[in-house]
Amino acid sequence: MPDLPIYRPALAGKAALGGETIRLEALPEGHLLHVMGAATTEEIKAHLLGTGLKASSVRPAGYRQWFVAGNDRLSAMHLRALTEALAGRAFISDQSHGRIRIRVSGLNAAQVLNKGTAVDLHPSAFPEGSTAMTLFGHISMQLTRTGADDFELTVLRSFAESLHEELEALAVAHGAEHLAS
Amino acid sequence: MASLISCPHCGTRPKEEFTVKGDASISRPTADAGEEDWYDYVYLRGNPKGLHKEYWHHSSGCRRWLIVERDTVTHKVHGVSDAALAKLGGGA
Ligand SMILES: [Zn+2]
Repeated sequence: MPDLPIYRPALAGKAALGGETIRLEALPEGHLLHVMGAATTEEIKAHLLGTGLKASSVRPAGYRQWFVAGNDRLSAMHLRALTEALAGRAFISDQSHGRIRIRVSGLNAAQVLNKGTAVDLHPSAFPEGSTAMTLFGHISMQLTRTGADDFELTVLRSFAESLHEELEALAVAHGAEHLAS
Repeated sequence: MASLISCPHCGTRPKEEFTVKGDASISRPTADAGEEDWYDYVYLRGNPKGLHKEYWHHSSGCRRWLIVERDTVTHKVHGVSDAALAKLGGGA
């Protein structure tokens, strides 16, 4: 981000919240790539493996669009390799600075999320690996189920704090407390 | 109004995720068409009872423009297709 003089994570200073049945935490601002083109999810997955990005995951984000997300900062070399691998099939727009990921997990995670989104989160309708572009209240987000009781919310950076505050209130209502960071 | 719309890309979603963008059956007049045709196209809209085709933008989902065919009396949705793909002759 050479055009921004100071780098500060959007949810810096937010301690994780945890309870018996719910946990809320901001994820590291690693990488978040917007991929657009006539590719397929499998094709993008194969190229991620081929370019050494094993820890990144691919999430469909609408017709011919995907988000590639991961916890590590992406080197210019990796980004260039992926761009070249997808050349002629899809374009990449690096949104690592523009979108923030939040993790909501625990037995009550789906219940908490359904306070804000109308997506059917029953495991039969939204199994592990499912992803949806949707709303949480009035905030646009991408919701991904990364485990049985494990979800990731991707939100535009400027909405991250607002969404996090809403989730905090919901988590507290389910007995979560701020954890020392 | 219909409360659930089945987006061909996203599945069944509540209407709050969409923005209704008006009649999908009107077509733009040719550039040299008369004033009356243009007035009609820009300002006049029917208020049909029964089947109606509308543009719906999945603004809080995949952000695609859809054509929703619905019944204004029974609220039943008869079909949803991707507007751009329908125009190109393909399905969604
Ligand atoms: Zn959609």
